[in-house]
Amino acid sequence: MESTATSIDLSPTLIVEDNGPMQQRLHRLLRDLIGADAQITAVESIAAAKAQLGENATGMAVIDIGLPDGNGIELIAWLREHCPQLTCVVISAWGDEDTVLAALRAGAIGYLLKEREDAELTQSLQSIRRGGAPIDPNIARRILTLLKLSSEPAPVATPHIEAVQPSEHALSERESEILQMVARGYSNREIAELTTLSRFTIEDHTKSIYRKLAVRSRTAAVFEAKAMGLLH
Amino acid sequence: MSVAWLLAAFTICTLQAQSAPAAALRIDRAEAVQADWDSSAPPVTGWTLVTLMDYWNTRWPKHDGVVWYRLHWNQASTDAPIGLLLDYVCMADAVYVNGSLVHRDPQLVEPLSRSWVAPQYFLIDKPLLHVGENTLLVRVSGLAAYQPGLGTVQIGSDSAIQPLYRSGVRWRYDVRLFNFAISAVLGVLFGMLWLLRRRDTVYGWYALSTLFGAGYGWNYVTASTWPFGSTDAWQAFNVALLVASTCSFTVFLLRFCERRWPRTETLMGLASLAAFAFALLDPHRMGPWRNLWVLPTILFYYVTIAAFLWHAARSHRIEVRVLGVSMLLPIALSFRDLALYLELIHGNNYIGALTSPVTLLGMAFAVAWRFSLAMRRVEGFNVELKHEVDIATRQLGDTLTREHALALDNTRIGERLNLVRDLHYGFGGSLLGAIAALENPQRPPEPARVVVTLKELRDDLRLVIDTTTHEQDCDLAALLAPLRHRWSQRLDVADIDSHWQLDNLHGLHLGPARSLDLLRLLQEALTNVLKHSRASRVDITVRHTDTLYIEVSDNGGGFDPAAIRSRHAGGAGLASLHNRARRLSAELILNTAPGQGLTLLLKAPLPPVG
Repeated sequence: MESTATSIDLSPTLIVEDNGPMQQRLHRLLRDLIGADAQITAVESIAAAKAQLGENATGMAVIDIGLPDGNGIELIAWLREHCPQLTCVVISAWGDEDTVLAALRAGAIGYLLKEREDAELTQSLQSIRRGGAPIDPNIARRILTLLKLSSEPAPVATPHIEAVQPSEHALSERESEILQMVARGYSNREIAELTTLSRFTIEDHTKSIYRKLAVRSRTAAVFEAKAMGLLH
Repeated sequence: MSVAWLLAAFTICTLQAQSAPAAALRIDRAEAVQADWDSSAPPVTGWTLVTLMDYWNTRWPKHDGVVWYRLHWNQASTDAPIGLLLDYVCMADAVYVNGSLVHRDPQLVEPLSRSWVAPQYFLIDKPLLHVGENTLLVRVSGLAAYQPGLGTVQIGSDSAIQPLYRSGVRWRYDVRLFNFAISAVLGVLFGMLWLLRRRDTVYGWYALSTLFGAGYGWNYVTASTWPFGSTDAWQAFNVALLVASTCSFTVFLLRFCERRWPRTETLMGLASLAAFAFALLDPHRMGPWRNLWVLPTILFYYVTIAAFLWHAARSHRIEVRVLGVSMLLPIALSFRDLALYLELIHGNNYIGALTSPVTLLGMAFAVAWRFSLAMRRVEGFNVELKHEVDIATRQLGDTLTREHALALDNTRIGERLNLVRDLHYGFGGSLLGAIAALENPQRPPEPARVVVTLKELRDDLRLVIDTTTHEQDCDLAALLAPLRHRWSQRLDVADIDSHWQLDNLHGLHLGPARSLDLLRLLQEALTNVLKHSRASRVDITVRHTDTLYIEVSDNGGGFDPAAIRSRHAGGAGLASLHNRARRLSAELILNTAPGQGLTLLLKAPLPPVG
């Protein structure tokens, strides 16, 4: 599979986070990563975020789940519809899988965990900037389960079948291989060694997987998330 | 009911037809004379004038033997043969026309042939038939006790007499034969039914009463006394059959009304047995004195019927009412038969036989109805049973589901207790330690130490979350995956190459508590590597054979095991590792020296599978 990696400009970045110290931490990390001239704005509510972002907004939005006036996942779904150029990243405290998965299906391209070290968060942000997307074993396993349930042969689809049925959201063989490795706990470096791909290509595959998740129906994902009791 | 009326109407029509033949001469004047059993010719003297139908026992009450009857008629022409009809002869007879024998029964002495059951018909032609006066002689053998005598004689053209004869045979003989056959068939049928279902005694009593009735009915059909050697014996046995039939019929009615009168029934049984005993042992008294048995039996029969009709009138059950109705007409007509038997009126035929099929049909219907009701109840019972079984199954299913849910709840409670314990020992301990350290007034906390402590708590909580979330559906390989991923990343950031080797961990379940201890131990070992080792590479091996091996080996600076114990931080870390190893019942081996890195080896025994 060809790399579709396109680097993402992290400036301007909008931080949607109502917790002060966490907002400052993200601000600091981003500024350290991008540089002093970075355009970083921080707001504390969905309403403020919608007001801040214009129709053609670009760059990145880092969005917390629990916001004073609503749920971050709803904002992500709204942004995918109104600001398609914008890269959405969800922030979760402990990476609760249902929440993260709902965000990914609503259109988020990655997630950051508050519990992680600064260095690790920076690494994730770098990955996002390169056009990649962070992932971890629990999420990978959940995606595998989800796709297995929705279409049984999808995770191990052969190239032949793929050629016959070019389904938009069916995973390629390479993608499901990578997912399975992630689920087993392999690091990106190890996966790169095992598949003889570059680390960046692997991150790119991850992003492609997320896009396939989201493409099914972003609004449906919100409804599903609501049905699952994730959104209140 | 309509059948009954039809039969009754027929009977009346037939009786009228017999009484008024158009072209037939009815002779009811005759001369009679007594003779001995072996009399071969009529005596010359002693003739008396009699009127037919004549029962000679009214005139000669003691006379058992032969009576000659002589009749005369005037024949105008002998161009055509004439028909001669003897309506009634009791018992056996020989017939002479103008001195010539035209008929003789097989047995003119005991045991007498039983010619009384049907009319006799003869076709007489010339030269036997004379123009002018003709004489008919009928030699009748009979016994005074059994209504011996001669009925009217009819003479006329063959076309006039023969229909009368046919009609007489039909109504006096054929109907009885039919009656006998239907009784026998029904008796056998319900007898079989009872044999196969002994509990339903109503069928058994019905069969018994019908079979006795059929035996009694044979009296009206048979032409000989076989298997008995005398008329007395036959008559006595026949009376016993009547008694038994009546008694069993009464018991049938009792059962049919779902009653049980043990004393009455025993009495009836004894009476029946006594009747048979007398009939077989002393027929020559029992036969002539049969009315001593017959009249009480008939009276008892009427009482039984009356009681049943009274019951049927009040009953709401359709089969009881049908049976009651089917008895009404036969009972009404039976009074006439009784009068005939008692010689209050004269006649040649008991009409009870005509109506008894009505009763038989009513009984058959009632019993069959009862049978079908029972069948329906059985079928209903099957449905009911199925329903009950369904309910029971559902209840059982519910109970099992409830118990299963309860067991699940208990498991969950157990898991929660484990979680609480884990939080208590691990996370709680760390938390208390951190609070104590931070509160120590002698050593005011530096912020960096506070952060380190909090991060330890965070990592601990991370493990608790991973383990408790996924322990149920994950083996050790899957539980290790997030730890491996996280620490690969973390070590990567710190420029430490991590190399993992996980062998044979798929399908290995240790339970939440042991899993958590294992992960914590591994995490602490890795924390030590990250913080203290100054290594560039670490090898992590988790291997499962009969024991679980965990090896964490770095290429860092190592330390002097003796010296480290005095140092606070490392000492605390090691103590914690030993503590965890103890909780796993595992052996912990540290292999280190300054400049030679650290190898940490844990050997944990596995609990038996299951």
